Amino acid sequence: MKKYRLVIAVVFAGLFLYACNKDKGGGATSSNDTFKKNMLINYADTLIIPAYSDMLSRLELLDMSSDSFQANPSLATQAALKEAFKNAYISFEGISALYFGPAAAQQLNNSLNIFPAGTSKIEAGIQSGSYDFTLLVASDTIQGFPALDYLFFSADAIQKFNDVDAASRKTYVKAIITRMKLIVSNTVAQWNNGYRDNFVNSLKTNIGSSIGNLVNQFAFEMDALKGPRIGYPLGKQSNGIIFADKCEAYFSGITKDVAIANLTSLKKYYTGGNGKGIDDYLNLLGKPQLNIDVLTQFDVALGALQAIPDPMSSAFSGSTATVEAAYREVQKLLTLIKTDVASATAVQITYMDNDGD
Amino acid sequence: MMVTKEPAWHKPVLIAPLITFRIVFGLLMFVSLLRFVWRGWVSTVYIQPSFHFTYMGFGWVRPLGAFGMYVLFGIIILSTLFITIGLFYRIAAIVFFLGFTYVELIDVTTYLNHYYFISLVAFIMIWLPANRDYSVDVWLQPCNKRNLVPAWTIRVLQFQLAVVYIFAGLAKLNPDWLMHAQPMKTWLPACSYLPVVGQYMYQEWVAYLFSWFGAVYDCLIVFFLLNKRTRPFAYVVVLIFHIATAIFFPGIGLFPYVMIVASLIFFSGQFHTRLLSFLPFYRHQHLSLQQSVFEFRYNKVVTAALAIYIFFQVAIPLRFLFYPGHLFWGEEGYRFSWRVMLMEKAGTAYFTVKDSSHTRYVSIDNAAYLTPLQEKMMSTQPDMILKYAHYLYKQFEQKGWQKPEVYAEVYVALNGSRSCLFIDSTVNLAGQPISWRHYNWILPYKQQ
Repeated sequence: MKKYRLVIAVVFAGLFLYACNKDKGGGATSSNDTFKKNMLINYADTLIIPAYSDMLSRLELLDMSSDSFQANPSLATQAALKEAFKNAYISFEGISALYFGPAAAQQLNNSLNIFPAGTSKIEAGIQSGSYDFTLLVASDTIQGFPALDYLFFSADAIQKFNDVDAASRKTYVKAIITRMKLIVSNTVAQWNNGYRDNFVNSLKTNIGSSIGNLVNQFAFEMDALKGPRIGYPLGKQSNGIIFADKCEAYFSGITKDVAIANLTSLKKYYTGGNGKGIDDYLNLLGKPQLNIDVLTQFDVALGALQAIPDPMSSAFSGSTATVEAAYREVQKLLTLIKTDVASATAVQITYMDNDGD
Repeated sequence: MMVTKEPAWHKPVLIAPLITFRIVFGLLMFVSLLRFVWRGWVSTVYIQPSFHFTYMGFGWVRPLGAFGMYVLFGIIILSTLFITIGLFYRIAAIVFFLGFTYVELIDVTTYLNHYYFISLVAFIMIWLPANRDYSVDVWLQPCNKRNLVPAWTIRVLQFQLAVVYIFAGLAKLNPDWLMHAQPMKTWLPACSYLPVVGQYMYQEWVAYLFSWFGAVYDCLIVFFLLNKRTRPFAYVVVLIFHIATAIFFPGIGLFPYVMIVASLIFFSGQFHTRLLSFLPFYRHQHLSLQQSVFEFRYNKVVTAALAIYIFFQVAIPLRFLFYPGHLFWGEEGYRFSWRVMLMEKAGTAYFTVKDSSHTRYVSIDNAAYLTPLQEKMMSTQPDMILKYAHYLYKQFEQKGWQKPEVYAEVYVALNGSRSCLFIDSTVNLAGQPISWRHYNWILPYKQQ
């Protein structure tokens, strides 16, 4: 019977050890994977937080340009505004892929960039003076960059801001920009007050982990580039019937610039800029060829986007084959990220139990 | 009394192992189901999805709506407690088996080998006299108390466990697992966050160690558990192995605990009697042998039923032999075969629906029809791809499309190999029948 005592002792010892281990599981202070930690520090400190700061300062500049445009709506002030708008939009493409943690809590992307804009809802809101930007889904399309794109740059924009009843329009614009600034500054504040440390200490690859978030958001963002940004206007959801006005930044005509900015920023997040990134992680995992292929495909896809003639909104019908080619290359990149990179990094997409098949 | 030579599997043995099994199984199921509800999975898996991947022949199994699903879970959870305390045991076991199996049959997406194991064990338990001692049932009706049961009632559970382990072990005897240490080589670096051992997770030899130890363990552990001399040490290995898997692969959920608890069935009647004597009110009475033996009325039927059951348990995991192609790639005959944590597979699927004249087409946004989990599972499993294609066909037919055709461009990466085209993207999947036959539109696996 001594043997059974041994068994029972081991049962309890095992359970005890396991319980201890579970307690420590969440934090990563006990781990010594310096590679992952340094990589995440690089992401947080040299890419993510600076990207948010840039967004915030670009929004300040946009606010100022908006003020001067509204004080004197003319072609000249509109041109100046367009420059500020473009810079801010491009800056946004640099944070679009960070839709997790604080940004997700702030509904950042849903408030800043759901396109196409709901133009009639926007006009109705300006007319009635009643709109609530905080409503989820319902108010997604009446605010953010797409709404500003419409309000500032639609055909008769200048005239509308010169109208006698332009005051309510100006109030609406101010409200949008104020909200954009608030959401971004809240997000930055959360990163600076605690989330940054969670981020760099989260060394797992399950859902909600930092590496999991990054890889899953790459895939999500690339899916959005393939779908809403290129595919939907191209008619991929509509029997090939082109809806050019469904594209991103349609009214300002900077569709191509923001698409390129989007993919360029994804590449930067993939490589980790000048520091350690997912590319180095793949090399560490013994996947150098995959990394080379992903980097190559990034460049091929960027090249295909650059080949599209400006403005891209006209290219959907004017040079469909070029846009179609870009669509195919983005899809190839998406496949690599969503299948090969996600698999190699053992990133998970759900909380559900699985037995590995 | 006539002395007839009883076959070994009808020989009376102590009932205690069955009693322990009933109690720990009931409790583990209670915790498992409560956890499932607690994590909100009833909603994410059975209420939110608009479409479910049904099992062939079980298309009639549908979720019961939000209220219905929670009531069903409530009933199943209640039945686990009735099983544990042994009250209305037979009814509780039937309710649990039917309820649990119904839930599992709703959607292929959530198929897990240990859910299948639970369903099988629950089915077996319906027929076992696991309430004939230390239960409310015998407290209410003491005359039903039995000390001894036919050996097969315990052997059948041991057999079931042996099937799990040995088939899991045989499945690991493949080149990817043994020669390339896949998928361990892919999964272990994800465990680098672990204290102490984390630093070794990038080392190749660790992946090989895990692979080979796992394969040897699965193939042989049953034999060491069966042997009286090696049993206590074997059980220590069981504990170490499964606790390790729980630490390294938290995603597998309760599987390690199910195996830890179920493996207790290998211990002797004396061991379980001692174990149970730690519990309150447990009295091990030596009634006269004659009146305390539980006997089945129709032994021939029992023997025949056991033979049939054993045949199917051995045949089902081997059915893959009748399919051509690489098993891990096409997954024909993969499920219900104890292939656990065996491969790393990921895929991306792009669907296009065209009408018969090819003048209308739409690229499908999978997220509009499937949950992320459903999409992930569908993207690597041909039968799910086909079911989804048929579903899309119906959706577009309802929209008024003429004979919609469904095409899928699917890329799959298996065990660290690079992704490549998985199925023939020129085949109209809407025109392909769902059947047990080999799907010839699955492209052959390219070894890299």
